[in-house]
Amino acid sequence: MSASAKRIILYIFVGCIFVILLSRLVYLQVISVDELSKDSNKNAIKNITETPARGLMFDRNGKLVVDNRPSYTLTVTPYQFDKSYLNEVAEIANLTPEKLKEELDKVKGTNRFNPVRIKRDLTFKQVSYLSENKERLKGVDFEVEAMRVYPNKFRASHIFGYTKEISEKQLDAQIGEYYKQGDLIGSSGLEQTYEEFLRGEKGNRFVSVDVKGREVGQFNDGKSDIPPVNGSDLILSIDADLQDYAEKLLTGKHGGIIAMDPRTGEVLCLVSKPDFDLSIFSGPTDPKEFGKLLVDKDKPLFNRAIQAKYPPGSTWKMMMSLAGLGSGELTTKSTIVCEGSFTYGGRTWEDHGAYGAIMIPTALEKSANVFFYKLGLRLGLENYDKFSGMFNFGKKTGIDLPNETNGLLPTEEYYNKVFGPRGWNQSVLINLGIGQGELLVSPVQLCAYSSAIAMNGLYNQPHLVKKIKNSATGKEEDVKYVSRQIDMPKNYFEVVQRGMYLVVNGTGTAKNVKNSDFSLVGKTGTAQNSGGNNHSWFVGYAPYEDPKIAICVLGENAGWGNQFAAPIAAAIMVRYLSGNSADVFNENAGSGISD
Amino acid sequence: MDKSFFKRFDIVLALATAVLITIGVLAIYSATFGNASSHDYYMKQLYFALFGYSLMIGLSFIPAEYLSKVSYLLYLITILLLVAVLIFGRTIKGNKSWFYVGGFGIQPSEIAKFTTILCLANYLSANEARDINRPWEFIKAAAIVLIPFGLILKQPDTGTALVFLSFLVPVFFWAGLSPYFLVALISFGVIAFAAFFGTAYFIAAIVIITVSLLLFKRNFIWSGIIIAVNIAIGFSVPKVFSKLQPYQQKRIMAVFDPTTDPLGTGYNVIQSKVAIGSGGLWGKGFLQGTQTQLKFIPEQWTDFIFCMIGEEFGFIGALILLTLYIVIIYKLISNAYVTRSRFLSIACIGFASIILFHLIINVGMTIGLMPVIGIPLPLMSYGISSLLSFLVMLGIGMSAYRNRNLYV
Repeated sequence: MSASAKRIILYIFVGCIFVILLSRLVYLQVISVDELSKDSNKNAIKNITETPARGLMFDRNGKLVVDNRPSYTLTVTPYQFDKSYLNEVAEIANLTPEKLKEELDKVKGTNRFNPVRIKRDLTFKQVSYLSENKERLKGVDFEVEAMRVYPNKFRASHIFGYTKEISEKQLDAQIGEYYKQGDLIGSSGLEQTYEEFLRGEKGNRFVSVDVKGREVGQFNDGKSDIPPVNGSDLILSIDADLQDYAEKLLTGKHGGIIAMDPRTGEVLCLVSKPDFDLSIFSGPTDPKEFGKLLVDKDKPLFNRAIQAKYPPGSTWKMMMSLAGLGSGELTTKSTIVCEGSFTYGGRTWEDHGAYGAIMIPTALEKSANVFFYKLGLRLGLENYDKFSGMFNFGKKTGIDLPNETNGLLPTEEYYNKVFGPRGWNQSVLINLGIGQGELLVSPVQLCAYSSAIAMNGLYNQPHLVKKIKNSATGKEEDVKYVSRQIDMPKNYFEVVQRGMYLVVNGTGTAKNVKNSDFSLVGKTGTAQNSGGNNHSWFVGYAPYEDPKIAICVLGENAGWGNQFAAPIAAAIMVRYLSGNSADVFNENAGSGISD
Repeated sequence: MDKSFFKRFDIVLALATAVLITIGVLAIYSATFGNASSHDYYMKQLYFALFGYSLMIGLSFIPAEYLSKVSYLLYLITILLLVAVLIFGRTIKGNKSWFYVGGFGIQPSEIAKFTTILCLANYLSANEARDINRPWEFIKAAAIVLIPFGLILKQPDTGTALVFLSFLVPVFFWAGLSPYFLVALISFGVIAFAAFFGTAYFIAAIVIITVSLLLFKRNFIWSGIIIAVNIAIGFSVPKVFSKLQPYQQKRIMAVFDPTTDPLGTGYNVIQSKVAIGSGGLWGKGFLQGTQTQLKFIPEQWTDFIFCMIGEEFGFIGALILLTLYIVIIYKLISNAYVTRSRFLSIACIGFASIILFHLIINVGMTIGLMPVIGIPLPLMSYGISSLLSFLVMLGIGMSAYRNRNLYV
């Protein structure tokens, strides 16, 4: 084809486009001009967003635990607002005029035509003042929003979490265009994890406005309106009464508790203390109050049940036993001689007693350190990591809360990186054998591990939400979680379970919490802490024959495992198994026992 | 000034451009009038328009060899910038496409528009013997365009990415791709579109494409491969669609029926149609447009600037504006024909196509003919990167006129 012919083809194509665009403009601007002018002069359409109420939360027995209440929010529409009333409006809202001006200046583009939320949770007096002066204060208005209320006495601050006004950074980073300035967004706990379900879908009301911006009626008789869809409700696995009880046991202390149903992974209670009052966030969040929480040296915002990581101490000894059995270094009948201390490479590691040649159950009952020093060395780092990994140590359990820690399962690469390839040797395994050294675990990891032992290796993903109830259809949908079988013979677990039984019901380290009605089993742990008092651990489950609850209790700097953690764990297990009636908690349960 | 200056200086492009950027600054002034946060945008646009216009005039004097020599280097820098923006860029409205330097936002994807065309033009003209109909040459040429396309899609700025596909067919057509392969190339786009609508359309399209390919009586292996690729595209379109974010699906659906998304893009289309339609024959007058001044249309100084013209200057204003664009496009094609440099000739066709594509999509969306795809109206929409990029293209287009053969 010649260049000239190509040129003509292109000219024709461009000409056609020109004709198409022009015809459309003729149609819009010449033929339908009357109709569209009417729309433009009298009936400009304004789109008003309607915010849905967030979904509620219920406990496993259907008890309402997170509710909404109506609250009034002061709004200002910048386009209509007369700046000479700035001082008056600022006074109503208890803001400085500078602050109000700043809020209004933040608004860009079309938002000048939409109301900006200035102050949440107005008092009755403020609302009446606004209603009385509505005509005068143009562009100043209030809207009804739903605010969180917590109808129960317990806090569960780390479970429920809070919502906050969306930040500019979050607005820019969002995928899609759902959120607008001033919207609330789940920022911690379940409010964050299930934001997408809880928030619902915004609705839109179209109203006709005149050229001055005054509303003159519904657009299209409201037929184009889209009503908001309220957020879906969450049916939680927690037991409100048990949560209340567990919180009381830990009040004034530093630590975490997590209990779950080992058969399903449903978390029954989750406590982290010190905590905070969620109602600070339910209304207008006072930046001062929030700032105080952020800098508090007790770290109340930190969820110890899933974010704290400490060496597990002796609660690790079941893991070692299982790794020993799984790797073939031990059989269920093997013995290891415990002399009372252990010397390796010129260094000596102490123990609290000499027990002679003992098998796994006795080693757990007595918490015999030498048994596990030796086992650690025999196992080697590779097997140590392989079997611990099967129980999700060094990984997240996948609990449905944000910011869970991985803990730390040290590997060869880890040691090479930290100490250099020549800076360490096999002796690290001696400390690792008794759950000390570089190893770090979280309460939720230990709880899921205890639960898997109770279930002969069935590892259930811990979770707090059982079902999501769609508010539009009313249908309840199960949430799917991972449930997997750890590949080890049943008799390995039985040997370990026997040891845990003896810890409480034999002559073991937690005999002080033995219960006559329910057969509790478990293991105490005391994590050495170079920076202060030892951390107190207890992991366990009950009843021995037919496990219904598994638990992990952590007391930060609280001393021996049997003194702090074991009595709390025992009391919670008994409380739950007795249908939330019995209270066997005894703070002064015996003297400290080395584990 | 002597006569030969005007013989060699493209006065038509220079004047049309000057008028368009002036209208653009006025339009931005009107669209941001009384808006606290953006009232000074028109000044910013004015400064950069003056700078860009001087740059354009300067570029019109540049010899073709200089440009073709640096075109690979410019392309390479652009690709590096596009990669860098994915890593270090700022996210605005979900797209990671901005750098911020000294208070000014820079979009590498806008710069890529002209550097990619220059690189492609250089590749296609570097060697007289290069035959675009050879598969390997064709693939290499297509890759020059597909690399920035892919990187921009990753931001993810689908609208701007599509711009890169718009000049592929015209440029290959101009560079001598045989009609057989042109049909094949166009068929890929047609099939993607048809598959989106449903199986019946897809099958019909496959039949039509097969028949038209067979009519060329070329070897069956080639036709077989092309049909196979078409079928593969057809099957992957619904899959890709289902993987998109719900808001993206909504946007695409709203193209065909604005009422499916009355809150988002559908709302804008309804408002912009009302604004333009109510302008009538003569318009409501400068700063008198109720829709424009009430800010019913979001960020009207960027992608929806044509509304303001339609409302305040009416059909006559819109007609003048469209005519100016058509003159520019016509002139670029004409320059491509008369220039002695094959490199500049191909580049001009690329520039003409890219401007035409922007015009179709941008004006088309404001009058409800096209999907709402966020690409600017050339020389008018507020945005420094886009403005400068188009002025550079026009400067090079003018230099093609300077390099023409006076005796053709």
